[in-house]
Amino acid sequence: MSPSPASIPPAPADAGAPLYLERNYLNARRGLWSWLTTLDHKRIGVMYLVLTSAALFLGGIFAMLLRIELLTPGPTIMSALAYNRTFTLHGVVMIFLFMIPAIPGIFGNFFLPLMIGARDVAFPRLNLLSVYLYLTGAAIALYGMIHGGADTGWTFYTPYSTTTVTMVWPILLGAFVLGMGSIVTGLNFIVTVHTLRAPGIGFMRMPLFVWALYATSIIQVLATPVLGITLLLVAVENVFGFGIFDPARGGDPVLFQHMFWFYSHPAVYIMILPAMGAITEVLSAFARKNTFGYRAVAFSSLGIAFVGFFTWGHHLFTSGQSTVDAGIFGVLSMFVGIFTAIKIFNWTATLYRGSIAIRTPFIYVIAFLFFLLFGGMTGIALATVALDVHWQDTYFVVAHFHFIMVGGTVAGFLAALTYWWPKMFGKSYSERWGIVGATLIFLGFNFTFIPQFLLGNEGMPRRYYSYPVRFWPLNVASTAGASVLALGFLVVLATLLLSLKYGKPAGPNPWGSRGYEWKTLSPPPEGNFLTQPTYPRMPHDYDDLNPGRGGH
Amino acid sequence: MSAETEHKHAGPGRYVAVWIALLLFTALTVALGRSHLAGSWGLPVALAIAVVKSTLVVLFFMHLWDHGGANRLVLATALVFVALLIGLVLLDSATRFPLADPPTEATMRLMPPGPGAPPGVEPAAARP
Repeated sequence: MSPSPASIPPAPADAGAPLYLERNYLNARRGLWSWLTTLDHKRIGVMYLVLTSAALFLGGIFAMLLRIELLTPGPTIMSALAYNRTFTLHGVVMIFLFMIPAIPGIFGNFFLPLMIGARDVAFPRLNLLSVYLYLTGAAIALYGMIHGGADTGWTFYTPYSTTTVTMVWPILLGAFVLGMGSIVTGLNFIVTVHTLRAPGIGFMRMPLFVWALYATSIIQVLATPVLGITLLLVAVENVFGFGIFDPARGGDPVLFQHMFWFYSHPAVYIMILPAMGAITEVLSAFARKNTFGYRAVAFSSLGIAFVGFFTWGHHLFTSGQSTVDAGIFGVLSMFVGIFTAIKIFNWTATLYRGSIAIRTPFIYVIAFLFFLLFGGMTGIALATVALDVHWQDTYFVVAHFHFIMVGGTVAGFLAALTYWWPKMFGKSYSERWGIVGATLIFLGFNFTFIPQFLLGNEGMPRRYYSYPVRFWPLNVASTAGASVLALGFLVVLATLLLSLKYGKPAGPNPWGSRGYEWKTLSPPPEGNFLTQPTYPRMPHDYDDLNPGRGGH
Repeated sequence: MSAETEHKHAGPGRYVAVWIALLLFTALTVALGRSHLAGSWGLPVALAIAVVKSTLVVLFFMHLWDHGGANRLVLATALVFVALLIGLVLLDSATRFPLADPPTEATMRLMPPGPGAPPGVEPAAARP
């Protein structure tokens, strides 16, 4: 049952703490220059929040343009080439500028040191550099977009990407620079976790969001260089004429797909793993129960990171890859399902007999569980070679990966944002409007993408700007759903922004969470803690509220 | 730099010796490439020399020889993933259906005209 807000008891350590810390990291230094040169991980997190939210908004505009074009079977508002460019930009912006950097960049930067009792990340200057690499990569990619954009899709498959007349190069170069920022962030987090944990926080006492960030960082450091190498090989082939991907010169275009997906498939886990970590935190806080199976949840993150490297070939089932490889990759892909299922079962067990509080972040948790299960199960189906041959490049695939990447990553992002907002800015938002926004997003998302599963199953291919009349009703439904989804995002944006001005002070721990990051004041002071906290309990320990109900 | 991470590095003699070894291996790669002495083993031999050279760089210039534990584990993990990438890609090209391989004279006769024809072989449709 949902208790009233008053029934969430404050954590014992909060007694006597101010509701709003007047001199905090946001106002201890003033002026634009203090932001541009800041080494404070929390300010860097806020900068990522502004930048990636702008990217989400831009990618969302491209998405709405696509859906409006598909509202009627023929040309609606744009030409075929404009459509190709729009879906390419939608993919590039959403993946490289929002989903990969968002959760590690915002919440990783802000909360990783707070969660391990550190004053900052291990390399604060590298941290600032990562923001500037992001800005530079984004600026280069935007230059390409303004000067015509690319029409290759975000995957840049050769030989089309090397022969098209559209502006592929700036966008490729932008992705290369953004990748460097991603590596720097990953490296910083790995060293921070290894070297800056406060006394009392061993590896087996780290919050599970930190475990997820750690697994993500390993992927970022190991996989992202392959993207850089691939893009450099494309350049080498074009400049020096070596035959690498071009069959006319003895190269192999499928090799490009191998190398591209060797990065880009693990990149899916760069997007989803931090979301899973955030969901674990929120779920435990609102079920008021210890996370069931701490070790299983922690190690399944590493398991997903590891197995994620063995599955890239499932993107190449119909690209001319050998059937031997396809069979191997099909089986290996299903291992991801095992580790994901470990998480889902443990989350469900955490909810079991919990004192559940239905708040805005928790609605995103429920949405996330539904989306991940639905997207994951259709992923298992797509990893079956014989089925994938029929669904490849149809809307079934589009719906599947949107369920994982939008349903999973964006729901995790919004759960994290609404859960940690009071800590980041010290203000409470309107719970009523928060729930309205979350509900609109859940409904809008389903109305957008469930029709796309049906369209794909009926054979509608992706990346076409027109379609036969028989696909019309489902496309109208999808566009209507996308409009509701967009409205939901606007409601969330307005709710959060208005809270900055009109919101009541949140207090140090409005949710009564036992997470380590709530041990400091809201908003946190510049050095994170006025007095160094102690860590006598596990990070998700609600045993005193649930005697005899287990956990861990 | 903390005392824990500070290491005493070897003198310049070691680095000069490694540098000379790297130059010699580079010369060997170029010589073998020019002379075709290795025949069909040319590619594996060149790759083997490259592996030796990068091992020297990692061990001495990147100080893995002096550092143990986690640093070696990180390198070993990276090597596993490199082997994985190369292994599964090579397995793909080794087991592909013959028509998907780079075209030979026999398969070209079955193909429509287009780029990729080996010198001297005309695609079927281009014949009178």
